[in-house]
Amino acid sequence: MNPQSRFIDLAIRYGFLVLLVALVVMFSVVAPGFAGAYSAVFIFQSVAITGILALGVTCTLVVGGFDLSIGSVATSSLMLSAYAMVVLEMSAVTAVILCLVMGAVVGLVNGILIVRFKVPDLLATLGMMFLLIGLQRIPTEGRSIATGMTLPGGGTAEGTFSPGFLLLGRHRFDLFLENLLPAPVIVFLVVALVIWVFLELTKHGRLMYAIGSNERAASLAGANVNRYKIAAYMISGVTAAIGGILLAARLGRGDIASGNNLLLDSVAAALIGFAVLGAAKPNAFGTAIGALFVGVLLQGLTMMNAPYYTQDFVKGAVLVIALMFTFALSERKKAGGH
Amino acid sequence: MKLSRRTMLALTTGAIFAGGAAAAQNMPAPFDNPGDVEIALVRYLSTGDFFQAYLGGVEAQAEALGVNLRVLDSRQDAALQSDMVDQAIALGVDGIIIQHGLTESMQAAAQRAVDAGISVVAFDVDVENDAIPQIEQSDYMLGSLALEQAIADNGDTFRAAYVYVPGIAPLDRRDVAWQDARKANPGIEEVAQFGTLDNPIANSVANQARSVLQANPDITVVFAPYDEFAKGVKIAVDESGLSDQIDIYSADVSTSDISAMREPGSAWVATVATNPSVVGEVSVRTLAMMLAGEETGDSVVVPPTLITQDFLNENDISNMDELSAQMPQFAHAEVSVPDWMPLPPRD
Repeated sequence: MNPQSRFIDLAIRYGFLVLLVALVVMFSVVAPGFAGAYSAVFIFQSVAITGILALGVTCTLVVGGFDLSIGSVATSSLMLSAYAMVVLEMSAVTAVILCLVMGAVVGLVNGILIVRFKVPDLLATLGMMFLLIGLQRIPTEGRSIATGMTLPGGGTAEGTFSPGFLLLGRHRFDLFLENLLPAPVIVFLVVALVIWVFLELTKHGRLMYAIGSNERAASLAGANVNRYKIAAYMISGVTAAIGGILLAARLGRGDIASGNNLLLDSVAAALIGFAVLGAAKPNAFGTAIGALFVGVLLQGLTMMNAPYYTQDFVKGAVLVIALMFTFALSERKKAGGH
Repeated sequence: MKLSRRTMLALTTGAIFAGGAAAAQNMPAPFDNPGDVEIALVRYLSTGDFFQAYLGGVEAQAEALGVNLRVLDSRQDAALQSDMVDQAIALGVDGIIIQHGLTESMQAAAQRAVDAGISVVAFDVDVENDAIPQIEQSDYMLGSLALEQAIADNGDTFRAAYVYVPGIAPLDRRDVAWQDARKANPGIEEVAQFGTLDNPIANSVANQARSVLQANPDITVVFAPYDEFAKGVKIAVDESGLSDQIDIYSADVSTSDISAMREPGSAWVATVATNPSVVGEVSVRTLAMMLAGEETGDSVVVPPTLITQDFLNENDISNMDELSAQMPQFAHAEVSVPDWMPLPPRD
């Protein structure tokens, strides 16, 4: 291998990580207050929710699918947890379980639509997205949920968000410094670790990658393709529901929202993840780094008073560059293989 | 042209009134037979608490008058909204309320409705038509009342952060109030401006506000003239532990806003709001006055009310109904209320 192509290989492998470090250094110099433990933790916090959703999307990408419904699953879970606690006056634990079950059921329905009814993945999950955006508003007739709200049938909602539930989104654990690590960040890291272990180190994860790269071959090799695909959508649904629970705990009320921005941001993070370490495929580590990358950029730009549209522009630019990395790389791999 | 058409309308309704002298109720024509009157509400925006409450007000006032109401909801589809006006014309309604929309798409449709002899009022959308009165909630006053309170609380010299997304009509009008306040008070320094409408808005704004507070720890006032913005800033202030140092001033109010303002130690100290259901009632009343041939004026402004955290705490207010009960000027607006106008039940 000549030195030039070795350099290109290195660039593809570590380019994104180097860029991430360079950005952090640059913002530390330019933006006052950027460097510091709290600031760093905050970046994690700002990407925790989209990051969790992105990890779910990664699982569906691994089996060669796609889940457009995650954003609306997250906001449905936000509304459901608020409804359970504020209107039905249930406990925090019940609310959390309800949301997780809802996410799993939505994933199951998505999976069955795709596997049994042969609906293309984009279309099935698109349908589910609209369905959920509508469904989450029906119980309250389109109102946001908060304690004291007037119910559609008259009367007011007396329940409250339980303090324990709010802690999920707001509590901060001590780590070296007081009140450093917010709970959602820990959930994000745990989910990332679990998904990473599952995809990279277990037989099931490898089979899912095999299904993604060649469904027929995987099936002939004895993998139960349908079951794994359904499982991938259920993982995606549950992680999205977790994201929604954290969102509810942070906001402290059931906010009407379509969740489309959550969907787009998390898909972007997962796609950026393709480029990390030259993986050229969906992977949990890349997704987490992708989410962080976007978080660092947005935090730095906001500190420098950049208006919101430059932030969308920058997000888009990062995504385009990442995709360029990924696809140029897979071409090279193909060329090398023959 | 328009004047004469208006006079014509007045004359015809006048004639009908004279003819139907045996009216059972004390309402002018055509409301002596309100069951025959049909009005249409053509909506552009409908999602969210504000629009839900607006619809509630429209329904309540229509019921008080006894007229039939049709609701046509275009769900942010500008072309569909324009088609819906044509649909309403084809249905032969007597009056149309255009609720939000884009000037470009609604101007021609509104003119077609006027040409068809239909009375039209517009809420928060300028359809550039002299025959159509504008119902407004005075966004400028929303902004300036909040800023007056900020100056009363903090003096005229402070470092402020401002939450704003340009290009949204009501926010642009509130922005004028902010610019004027800064011009009048050179001691107010805008050290940071941010804002986004990525939903859930409160969550996205909270992320931004965290960065801003980190970069500018000396901010004491945040002007966030939209309640979703204020909610986001409050989350960031709480997370940064700066509740004692920072005061948030905003516009709009809802039940969940009230509970956020009343959390112990909340930094959200004041908001200024118009009651959306009152705006809905005023829209219908203004339309009814037009149908009865009365003069409404070119613009009908529903005045906003200042709501402070102290007031909410002193009166132990926890939702919109209690706020209305404790604050009559918020619950009702004495706007477009001729003697004959039946009002929705007030408790």
